[in-house]
This record gives sequence, structure tokens and C-alpha cells, in this order.
Amino acid sequence: MTDTILEVDGLSVDIATPRGTLHAVRDISFSVRRGETLCLVGESGCGKSMTSLAIMDLLPKAAKRNARRLAFAGQDLSKASKRQINALRGNRMAMIFQEPMTALNPAYTIGNQLIEAYRQHKNASEAEARERAIFLLSKVGIASAAERLGQYPHQLSGGLRQRVMIAMALMCGPELLIADEPTTALDVTIQAQILRLLADLQRELGIAMLLITHDLGIVARIADRVAVMYAGQIVEEGPTASLFQSPKHPYTQGLIDCIPVPGRTVPGGRLGVIPGVVPSLVGDIRGCSFRDRCSRTQPICSQAPPVYETPDGQRWRCILEDAA
Amino acid sequence: MTALLEAQGLTRSFGVSQGMFKARRTLHAVNGINLDIRKGEVLGIVGESGCGKSTLARMLLGLLPPTAGKIALDGQDIHTLGRKGMARRVQPVFQDPYSSLNPRRTIASIVSLPLEVHGIGTAAERRKKTLDILDKVGLPQRFADRYPRELSGGQRQRVAIARALVMNPEIVVCDEPTSALDVSVQSQILNLLMDLRRELGLTYVFISHNLAVVEHIATRVAVMYLGRVVELAETEALFKAPRHPYTKALLTSVLTPEPGAGIPETGLGLAFPDPLNPPPGCPFHPRCPERMAQCSTITPRFTEHGRDAVACHLHDPELRASTPRNVVTLNANTALKQKENS
Repeated sequence: MTDTILEVDGLSVDIATPRGTLHAVRDISFSVRRGETLCLVGESGCGKSMTSLAIMDLLPKAAKRNARRLAFAGQDLSKASKRQINALRGNRMAMIFQEPMTALNPAYTIGNQLIEAYRQHKNASEAEARERAIFLLSKVGIASAAERLGQYPHQLSGGLRQRVMIAMALMCGPELLIADEPTTALDVTIQAQILRLLADLQRELGIAMLLITHDLGIVARIADRVAVMYAGQIVEEGPTASLFQSPKHPYTQGLIDCIPVPGRTVPGGRLGVIPGVVPSLVGDIRGCSFRDRCSRTQPICSQAPPVYETPDGQRWRCILEDAA
Repeated sequence: MTALLEAQGLTRSFGVSQGMFKARRTLHAVNGINLDIRKGEVLGIVGESGCGKSTLARMLLGLLPPTAGKIALDGQDIHTLGRKGMARRVQPVFQDPYSSLNPRRTIASIVSLPLEVHGIGTAAERRKKTLDILDKVGLPQRFADRYPRELSGGQRQRVAIARALVMNPEIVVCDEPTSALDVSVQSQILNLLMDLRRELGLTYVFISHNLAVVEHIATRVAVMYLGRVVELAETEALFKAPRHPYTKALLTSVLTPEPGAGIPETGLGLAFPDPLNPPPGCPFHPRCPERMAQCSTITPRFTEHGRDAVACHLHDPELRASTPRNVVTLNANTALKQKENS
């Protein structure tokens, strides 16, 4: 398929701990088409960030990646050399992190950091790189871009730093942008501005985006498709509208019922809850990983659940063919 | 409803070092706030980082003395109540249940510590009270002799709530109580807070940056911006018809889970609030899409509209009556100022 930019098949991430092997990501498969936004959503510890780091080959040393196939634009990354990965990373695939203050180097100017990767990847002159940096800084809405190049990260506000991060990610004209909780550290008004900017740029430049978040509000507003992760697995995925209108997996339903939504929830009334806690990811999980917290558990849930699929591509991993 | 806790002209400033050879500068974290907290209500306080909401919370708890202004509990200056007297009636729940619980103490000893400090009851009585309160916040009694590290984030926050309630306080000040929690846990804690309020007749001050949560739990909302309250209104009225342009922008920014609605345009531009360098006049004017000439020079008054109040020139009846919008001249401003002063 030529319109698939990222193809993940059977990805697992294992972390060795003193208590045994922690399976942070368990055999997940998904793909991102060119120009689309796929959101990976889930609660802390579900493996969503590990998935993004595994794709970028940025996992911590203790974590091991396994995949049947992990292909970027048809090239299998799991078999690529370090050199080939380096040529792709920051160039054709770029990443935006949650905390721009830790992702930017405090000792270098904004200009230095923007220009460095571009010169490296594109073999461009300093002047060309500078010109592109100024162009992109204005593109992400930063006024007097030329002067900003000489400033250091600490001289910028959180919102501006995140704009610089976005400009940096766009420098080499990537085909895939991976954004890991890009607005979680920001205030709500700035969050709306940054997400709008990301959505506009993505549409204009035709970039595919893999956005990782815990916030269902963001997912609903920005995603074309959604994959819901729980305990290292994708338990449900599908087009955004279908998933929010008729969530099939009890976990997806539970998540949606937990959040107060004006008009749907009664002010001061009771919110939905998901009782219990996430199972330990150390060792194997047999059967459905959600069954201890699910209100519709049956004896059969101790076996691996089947995967159902609707014609419009909504897939879920549950014994219930239609949970609604 | 009568005011249970009342703040008048509450101000707190901090000296901020600018480096070895520069003079210290003054940061007005809270700048002349008047606020009454009524018995039985849930007063939501919203605003972005650096707006002073946590500083306000610490002052309301009596943990931080104000630079100017005073706080009265049932008409009595909290200064005269002392820290212990205050702690009997006003208790906190903080954001991070990982750092607000002593890791070396068992859950029972964390929860019963306030009783010990105040010398309430015998050891056996304290133990019983502790187990009762754990039960009330939905923690099994077997947790009493465990340590915080053995508990999940939601369970720890229940411990923090139990510790706050063990003294039978009248007011609980919750500073971002669910911000560090996952959404499925957040809803459990919100449900618990609502149940406890009904059961024990508590009054809450609920500080949060999450407007959907505040709309859900609060009965009245104060919107803060750079150390000031810019709008104070009943929850329903505020969310239905916000008056202050900043409140409008905040509400616009809330991303409710509605597929296809897209990302809203806030109209705020790129300026960001710097608490060290608050702009003259209305602190919000550099970002305000509706600013007028006088906004950059005159600080707007707090004007009352029925049960609600707002600090914005757009809603100042005197200003609106005397001059048409956008055509306010400097002379008119000075005239108005003189009138206010006289």
C-alpha cells in the first residue's frame, strides 16, 4: 500500500525489572496513512509513550523492542541500520515532546538548534538553513522571527517554546510527525492555540500525525482515527466519530463516561467510574486484560478475546460483539 | 447565605531575585482580592498557571500570611485564631498525593496525626476515628497499617481526603485535587468529594485549571487572572453567559469530546501573562480581543450584576452610560477617575 506512511505489526516492548519482565507494549498493530491523524489514547502506564519511542528507536536501554514489521514509507525500521535510522529521524519522521524545556537544549540558541538538523540532513548552507528557520518560526506564529533565533529557550514562555519545538520538527519537511502529549504542560488557552496550529499545519503540509494523549477532548477534536490502549494492548480502534458515538469496548465506554461533559452529565451528579486498578504488566496476562474491572465479565473472558470489526473499520477486542 | 470565610483586600507579594547584581523585584501573586466563601457552597477558583490561585489557597488555609488585607472566619480575624485554631476548621487537600503524604508513616498514623497534634481523644479513640474515616472515604480498613508507597494515586488521594476530614472541618480547600490522576480515578475522587459534602455539610474551595471539572462540581466560580479575580458568578450563569473576555476565552478553549467540532480559535494572540511584569490598566488587555482605549490605562472596577460581578470596562455601567464603546477619550477617563475618587 503506497498511502500507508507507518505500518506497525506485532510491536512489543519488554523491560527487564528485578521482579521479572515487564511487558509495556504487547503485540500491537496499527497503521497511519499519509496525511491522517491517528490518536493513541489511554491512561498512564498503558504503553502509549513506549509505543512512540519504539517507533523512533528512542527507547531507554533497559527496554527491548520486538516487531514482526515496523515500516516507515515501506522501509522496515526493525531491520534498518543505525545509520539509516539516523537519516530518517528528524528528517522524514520527527517528534514533538511533552515538555519543551527539557527537550530543548538550554545552552544553545533557538537558531542553533533549528539549523543544526537541517544542515545535517539536507546538506544546506548556513544561510539557507537560517532562511528556512525564519520562515517556519513565522509559520508557527512567532513574531520577529529573526530576532528569536538569537534567543535561548529560557527567554521564551512555555507556549512559545512549544511553537519552537513544532518549527524544529517541521524543519526538514517530515512526512510523519509523532507528538507525545504536546500540550499537557500548557495552560488551556495556550493548548487550544497550539493544537489549532498543529491541525492547520498538518492539513496544509499534508503531514501524517501520530498524536499520543490521555485527553479524550483533544482526541475528539483532532483525530481522524483513534486507537485506545489498555495494559499495553490496543483494545479498540476506529474512526473518531464512530468510536465516540458507539464505543464497543467496555473500557472505551468507561473512559467516555468518566469525564464530565456539559449537557451530558448532570452538574453535581455522579460520574461513571471504572473500579479497580490496571493489572500488573509483569509476566503474561491471560485472557482479557480488562476483565477484573469490567462490569460485563463472563467466565469466557479468561480466554483471549476475539476481535470484531464493523464495515467502517471500527475494531475491538472483546467477547461482546456489540456492547451497547 | 452568610459568608463563612471572608477575604478583604487580600494581597501577597514575593521578592524575586533577578540575579546577583540586580535589585530584587516584587511579584504580586495575589493583588487585592475580596472574596466571601458562603456556608455549604463549592466555590470553584479557575485560572491559568501563575494567576495566584495556589497562593490564595495557602492564605485561605492560614499557611501563608498575607502582605496586606485580612481573612475572617465567621467574622473573626484568623490571625487571632492561630494556626491550630484555623486547622480545626479549615483543612487542605493538595494536588500531588505522592508528595503530600509522609512515606515513612503508615496510613493510620498519617490520618490520625491531626488528632494527635490537637490532643484529641485517647489512642484507642483516635484509632477508631481513623478507621471510621478510612471507611468513609472508601478505603478498606486493612490499608490502615500500610505505607503510601503500597497505594495507587487514587487511593493516596483518598488518604489525603481522610486526613483532611478527621478533624471534622467546616471548610476543605482542595488545590487541584484531581490534576495528577487519570480520568477514571478522577471521576471516583470527584464522586467521593460530592458524597462527603452532602453527608457532612462541607464547604469546599475547589481550585482547578480544568473547567469541565469545575463546571461539574462548583456552585459558584471565581475566575482569576494575574493575581486578581476578574469574574465571580454562579456556575450556571458563568458557563452560559460569561461576561469577561478572559472567561469567554477560557470557556472557548475547553475541548469537550465532540468529534468534528474542531479546535476552537481563542482570539487571544501571542502575548502571554508575565506575573513579574503585569501590564498597566486591565491586566488582561494585551491579550484581549475586545480591548478599548482606556483598558491600557485604567484598572477596571469590580461591578455587580445581580448576584454576579465582573471587573471589565465593557460591563461597567457608568462607563457604558457616559461614553459609547471604542470612543472613550483620555479626558473622559480622567474625569471618571476623579469622580471615583471624590
